[in-house]
Amino acid sequence: MRKPPPSWLLSVPPLLYLLALFALPGLLMLLVAFRLPGDYGGLMPLWSDEDGALTVNLTLENFTRLVEDDIYLKLLASSLLYALLTTALCLVLGYPLAWMIARSRRRWRDLLLLLVILPFWSNFLIRIYAWMIILSPVGALSRGLNALLEMLGLGPVQLMFSPTAVIICLVYVHLPFMVLPLYANLEKHDPALLEAARDLGASAWQRFWRITAPLSLPGVLAGSALVFIPSFSMFAIPDLVGGTGGIMIGNVIKQQFLEARDWPFGSALSITVTLVVLALAALAAAAARRGVRHA
Amino acid sequence: MKKWLLPLALLLSLPAQAADVLHLYNWNDYIAPETIERFERECGCKVNQSYFSDAEEMLAKLAAGAKGYDVMVPSTEILGALIKQGALMPLDKNQLPNIVNMDPAYMNIPEDPGNRYTVPYAIGTTLIGYNEQKLKELGITADSWALIFEPEILAKIKGKVTVLDSPRELIGAALIYLGYSVNTTDREQWKQAAALIARAKPYWAAFNASSYIKELATGSIWVAHGYSMDLYQARVDAEQAGRDFSIGFVLPKEGANIGMDHMAISAHAPRPDLAHKFINFMMDGRNASELTNMIGNGNPNRAARPYIRPELLEIEALFPSPELQKRLQVLEEFPTAKDRRDFNKLWTELKLR
Repeated sequence: MRKPPPSWLLSVPPLLYLLALFALPGLLMLLVAFRLPGDYGGLMPLWSDEDGALTVNLTLENFTRLVEDDIYLKLLASSLLYALLTTALCLVLGYPLAWMIARSRRRWRDLLLLLVILPFWSNFLIRIYAWMIILSPVGALSRGLNALLEMLGLGPVQLMFSPTAVIICLVYVHLPFMVLPLYANLEKHDPALLEAARDLGASAWQRFWRITAPLSLPGVLAGSALVFIPSFSMFAIPDLVGGTGGIMIGNVIKQQFLEARDWPFGSALSITVTLVVLALAALAAAAARRGVRHA
Repeated sequence: MKKWLLPLALLLSLPAQAADVLHLYNWNDYIAPETIERFERECGCKVNQSYFSDAEEMLAKLAAGAKGYDVMVPSTEILGALIKQGALMPLDKNQLPNIVNMDPAYMNIPEDPGNRYTVPYAIGTTLIGYNEQKLKELGITADSWALIFEPEILAKIKGKVTVLDSPRELIGAALIYLGYSVNTTDREQWKQAAALIARAKPYWAAFNASSYIKELATGSIWVAHGYSMDLYQARVDAEQAGRDFSIGFVLPKEGANIGMDHMAISAHAPRPDLAHKFINFMMDGRNASELTNMIGNGNPNRAARPYIRPELLEIEALFPSPELQKRLQVLEEFPTAKDRRDFNKLWTELKLR
């Protein structure tokens, strides 16, 4: 009789994958964060030899710069806020949608799922450009909204080039990433559980809160992670619709690499972002474990 | 024909096609399609374009190891960096007989003495474009940088102004408005420029280097700090869309930046022969004129003038008179790495405040 392969062997490919695409680049970035920038982008050589005096070009400057002025920490905080708000809005909008799709008839379900995925068929930037037209001050939406506000005696608002525009586009782009894992989870729930609860006299709210919500927690967490992480480090959306007030940490990182020729400082910022995300992921995982134990 | 013949023929023709490709690393929309078609016909090759949107982006990509370009179109301010890095191949002038067409005023610049590595491609100024009707209604004149820097004026056009998302251009404009050189490294003068920008920033809608053409041409914004070719494009777009307003642009009386792009051959060019052919082709008067007729750039090619639409030659912001030229400044690379780092730090923090 043949023995099944040992379980550690099965975990080799995903471990290799993580090592090659996460650990190594992360380590590389960490090392770069202590180096000095080269004159034309890239890095200064690790050591230089001037008149026989050997100097090692390593520095802590990139990290001290992060804290010596509070603007970077403030930016980190505001980017976190953008990402959290986006995740919350996606959850509020995505949950009912995923639930509705999961509960609809088989032949409708595939069509509805297709509609959720459909936006992916066109390029992300083109969709943001479409939003730029929708939000534009000469567009119908802005003019209609401002006409309404004027009737109510309120001042006009500007949609384009504002933090509001950033949130709208972030939610729009990431909504499918919330809906799909939620749907995958909700679809598997056994309807018999809800019927039994109803027979035992549970109200609609109780049925949702005591049965559906705890069971869907893994879907909520997966969706939230898929929305939170990319929105936290997004740079294209704030670049295009954010204006002077809607800048995120991703913009500053991109600026360091592409314009400022300062890869080390860009790496220090990236490392900070990665650490924040990892810390939050650890918190969420701990919370989920406790949640599962209580459920 | 036998069924297997067609795939076989395709297979055989592939290597032959792949061999004759010129890789051009260029700004977007920076060569007329008919010019490319004509070159492809003449040389019996294909032109494959890649694009960049900022000169620094080109440097960053090359520093990250991008290879395989034949001809590149870098701006003046990064020429020094490219040459010192050995990223460019010296030009073989014997293969470039059309070089006699170039205007000596734009040749032999300090960044590339004797045009060893580059020849000029196009010229542009950085200035202010505006919605003529709106500014008239509001009683604002547009002949000075005060339009984008002075709060009294900005108060009337709050949220309707975009400035370039480029540290050298924007801080440069502030320095010009204050009467300083765009290439100053005097920290006190930088500080004054930064204070001017910090004061004006709340009135601006965005730092924008990509969509202001459209925003200006649709009337979403009324004033844009931008490149002459883009502002010309906005004017044409507004005209063609039949808008009830028109786009004007002027060189501010305090002066402005003049920028130049150049053609150069990559040190790693797979096909230097095609690259020389292309550069010589682009220095022909008619071929050089097509870009100007398409996007309204200033043209460093004297032989191109007869082919350029006369109404373009009359626009002073595109073809400045010798007297106006005296007020134009050229961006140069900062002398030391420390200057550049401090300047970039100033810009990063200015944007966040």
